[in-house]
Amino acid sequence: MYHRENSPSMSIHEEATYSVNISSMPIFNNLVVYDQHKAQNSIDALTPELATEWSWSADKKALTFKLREGVKWHDGKPFTSADVKCTFDMLMGKSQNRFRKDPRKDWYFNVEDVTADNPMQATFHLKRPQPAVLAMLASGYTPIYPCHVTAAQMRTNPIGTGPFKFVELKQNESIKLTRDSDYWKKGLPYLDGIEYTIIPNRSTAILGFVAGKFDMTFPTEVSIPLMKDVKSQKPDAVCVLAQTNVATNLIMNRDAPPFNDENVRRALALALDRQAFLDTLFEGKSVIGGALLPPPNGVWGLPPAELKNVIGYGDVKKNREEARKLMEKAGYGPNKHLALKVSTRNLAVYRDPAVILIDQLKDIYIDGELDVVESGIWFAKIARKEYSVGLNLTGAGIDDPDQTFYENFGCGSERNYTNYCNKDLQQQFDAQSQETDPAKRKQLAWEIDKKLQEDVARPILYFSDQGTCWAPYVKNVTIMTNSSYNGFRYEDVWMDK
Amino acid sequence: MAAYLIRRFLLMLLTLFGISIVIFALLRIVPGNIADILFSSAGMINPADKAQIEKDLGLDQPIVVQYAQWIGGLVRGDLGYSYISEKPTLDEIAPRLPISAKLAGMALAFAVLFGIPLGVISAVRQNTPLDYVLRVVSLSGLSLPSFWLGLLILMVCVRYFGWIPIYTEPPKTWWNELLLFAIPAAAVGFRSSALMMRLTRSSMLEVLRQDYIRTARAKGASYAKVNFVHALRNAVLPIVTIVGIEAAFLVGGLIVTETVFNIPGVARFLVEAIRSRDYPIVQNLVMFIAVCVVSINFLIDMAYLALDPRIAYEK
Amino acid sequence: MAAIETIEAGPRRESRLATFRFYARRYPLGAAGAAIAAIFVLMAIFAPWITQVDPTATNPRISLAFPSSEHPLGADFLGRDMWSRIVYGARISLAVGLGSTGLGALFGVTIGLTSGYFGGWYDLIVQRVMDMMQSLPLLVMALVMTAALGPSLENTIIAISIPLIPTVARVIRSNTLMLREMPFIEAARAVGMNELSIALRHVLPNTLAPLIVLATAQLGSTILVEAALSFLGLGVPEPHPSWGRMLSESAAEYVRVAPWLVIFPGAAISLAVFGTNLLGDALRDILDPRQRD
Repeated sequence: MYHRENSPSMSIHEEATYSVNISSMPIFNNLVVYDQHKAQNSIDALTPELATEWSWSADKKALTFKLREGVKWHDGKPFTSADVKCTFDMLMGKSQNRFRKDPRKDWYFNVEDVTADNPMQATFHLKRPQPAVLAMLASGYTPIYPCHVTAAQMRTNPIGTGPFKFVELKQNESIKLTRDSDYWKKGLPYLDGIEYTIIPNRSTAILGFVAGKFDMTFPTEVSIPLMKDVKSQKPDAVCVLAQTNVATNLIMNRDAPPFNDENVRRALALALDRQAFLDTLFEGKSVIGGALLPPPNGVWGLPPAELKNVIGYGDVKKNREEARKLMEKAGYGPNKHLALKVSTRNLAVYRDPAVILIDQLKDIYIDGELDVVESGIWFAKIARKEYSVGLNLTGAGIDDPDQTFYENFGCGSERNYTNYCNKDLQQQFDAQSQETDPAKRKQLAWEIDKKLQEDVARPILYFSDQGTCWAPYVKNVTIMTNSSYNGFRYEDVWMDK
Repeated sequence: MAAYLIRRFLLMLLTLFGISIVIFALLRIVPGNIADILFSSAGMINPADKAQIEKDLGLDQPIVVQYAQWIGGLVRGDLGYSYISEKPTLDEIAPRLPISAKLAGMALAFAVLFGIPLGVISAVRQNTPLDYVLRVVSLSGLSLPSFWLGLLILMVCVRYFGWIPIYTEPPKTWWNELLLFAIPAAAVGFRSSALMMRLTRSSMLEVLRQDYIRTARAKGASYAKVNFVHALRNAVLPIVTIVGIEAAFLVGGLIVTETVFNIPGVARFLVEAIRSRDYPIVQNLVMFIAVCVVSINFLIDMAYLALDPRIAYEK
Repeated sequence: MAAIETIEAGPRRESRLATFRFYARRYPLGAAGAAIAAIFVLMAIFAPWITQVDPTATNPRISLAFPSSEHPLGADFLGRDMWSRIVYGARISLAVGLGSTGLGALFGVTIGLTSGYFGGWYDLIVQRVMDMMQSLPLLVMALVMTAALGPSLENTIIAISIPLIPTVARVIRSNTLMLREMPFIEAARAVGMNELSIALRHVLPNTLAPLIVLATAQLGSTILVEAALSFLGLGVPEPHPSWGRMLSESAAEYVRVAPWLVIFPGAAISLAVFGTNLLGDALRDILDPRQRD
């Protein structure tokens, strides 16, 4: 398999890109994990890994895991509940063994403590009920780390309990994993090893796959026209188009002109022709939705029928008419255009929609110019509010309202780039988070989602579909359809040759 | 003579010192530092963690102190640790050097092998159709972007041969290695060979007009011997110069070629390191390249001195 | 020597057109180069008249369209007309080529002239600085510079011009050193002209010939450097239709679905650079007799 970029490190907990998950997930195990062969992740389809069973207390504030006996770390030490406690203490910043960075600390804001009840049992104590905790623990983002290895070593030479052992990471060259013959699931894994050749140049990478240098492309990195091309050049290749639950969205700097004016914000939301984005970039495929991924792929999102009457989702012509009126109200017009810098990250998936956006904004008296920000400093720049309007991509680690709402729209969250803050809504976030009845919770989530769109908090353009291809002899690969972070354990993938 | 050598050597050191300041300062002007880059994949910045990282790496200290630490380490032979891989800088650079060196060496060999003979032919056959064809070819060598050439080669290889000459794993035999590097080396070397050919041609023409060549011809020396032995020997001096000039330029060619052919050499590594603000890698690598370039030029000056006693140096 | 005399005799006798014809016949390759360069310059100037299509307008219906009568060079992934992007791209390449060569020449001449003319400590220091600039690989310098300044057309021009400075400065300096000792300079000094006006009125004009030769030769390479920078993701940013950018990673992805996306911009770059190189060669032969073959 080839890899799309130089991996920042091997440590899943310290990174927030699926580039790391793909190459590191096979090294580790979770307590529980989403069923690796069900394309739609949901809390109803979990597979036990290091935990054999789990149960909620009566008040729904304690979650207890019974752990698997006889599991060994790759260095031979036995796995116990102490490792579970260590992992979450580290994530919550309570441990001496500190991560260099801890991007998902906020996931555990509601976890009071994790206790090791006995060597083979661990309990999560919550401040208030939160069913989503289990969803987070099942994510590919939540492997269990060993207690006896430092955070620094986990970045460069990780030790796990998973089906594959880490061999080496050569910067800009390759990552190598080899089969763990002592893996606790007897007979697994089938593959002798996995080798990820790092090829940042996508055209070279695809050519390499077509020429047979690789058994599989990097997951969900093949665009639709390229997929067609792969199929024509290599007719026996298996290609799957899957929803990634990565939302392309607009961020507006509400603290500075012109977007401190609500009229301009609303005008921008109304000017969007979402279908045109899909037509250009995905040959009409991919999905339009609100803050949460809509069904059928998504579990919690607003269905298209519910979206119709939300701002900016209806008839484009009528919307733009209205947008122009709002712009005129804000003091702009045919003779007084608004000059705007549209910031975006210097990556094709960001740049391409930004170019289309600028083209669409011409219709409402806005002359946009693209401000391409070097990829590595993009988030540093928007965190410093050095932008006016930006085109951004936000991937959802798990398909769950808690993660999306708190992270992207919560008051004071570090990923809430626009500083949108609505105290009433914040209470609704908590209300849905505590709701243990999934049907009721979904209703609450829909209400919130609609409100977010009406407030033009962070207009969502689309959720992109991306392709993955592999050679016909590669078997048992399942690509998830509502996440791009959780499906890479690869323990039972095999090759028919 | 000795005084001149010492003087040249001292000036060389001065130049290197200047370069170290320039590259150090330039890197600090570039917005964003390693902490920003490390967080870039997280989609957020945690100020406390960021400050901790900067402190750990000594980036919170005054620029002058950082510079002194770097140079101090350099003098002691301690190049520091890569920010990204957290391995010693030397361990990161050393395995990549031979790959780029081989590529560069083959490109240069390609340039010499094609550039010089064709240059001689072009000069000897001045103003014939052959000369025109060769001149146009050599000029096109200076006009084609090497990455474009590389892309076209890849395209053709995959389409018509179902085979792709990119680097995916270390070659096992020297023959495989040769095959693997031949195409990228040709893509880089095309430009150098064009340059070499043009220079050979013009210095050959100059030499061919000289009296002693006419004398040699009059004495009945064979045609080939006159052209290739007598004339070329004297035309070689300016050709040596171009190797020096090309050395610095070759690095640029290597960057794009290593990118296109996915060769894990030191040039592409440098670009990645610049992108991730991995100061120890960038600083030391740029210094290394500068030392190479400066020494090559120094050696070439010495070669001049040895080859051509007519050149007199100011004291 | 005979050749030089005829050339110098040429312009004196004939009208301009005839002069041109004279050179064109003597340097057919140079004339071809001039013609190619002229075509690109005209394309840049008259871009809006040559094509009515907006090079930044996107259109989903023609994404990756095959070349046709409507879109003679096809369309890219975002459905932008390639012909109009190539035509407008000539403006970017011209701006980068002329801008950075001009900027580099301006600084190079100033530095070369002053250091050659005044000499001494100043010269020594300046030469060290030039040494330093030449020992840093050009593309690496440009990479760091564009990273420092941020990608934009202006910054790309600045970044590319900087490595040109030492090359120009070197040539001008050695010319100045030579000119300084010439009898006519001595004469000017004897008449009591001040040093500055000698430098500007007598030395500078006499360095023009080598400068033009050098600048034309560098013009092509600046276009190539811009292309390489854009290929690496720096350089002139979207949505400016830069030829190099069109070849960059994102476009090259579709190389097999739509080879025309890669072939045409690459051909445009090559042809433009080839043209200026041919022209540069001819100019060198005409203006710089010492280097003539």
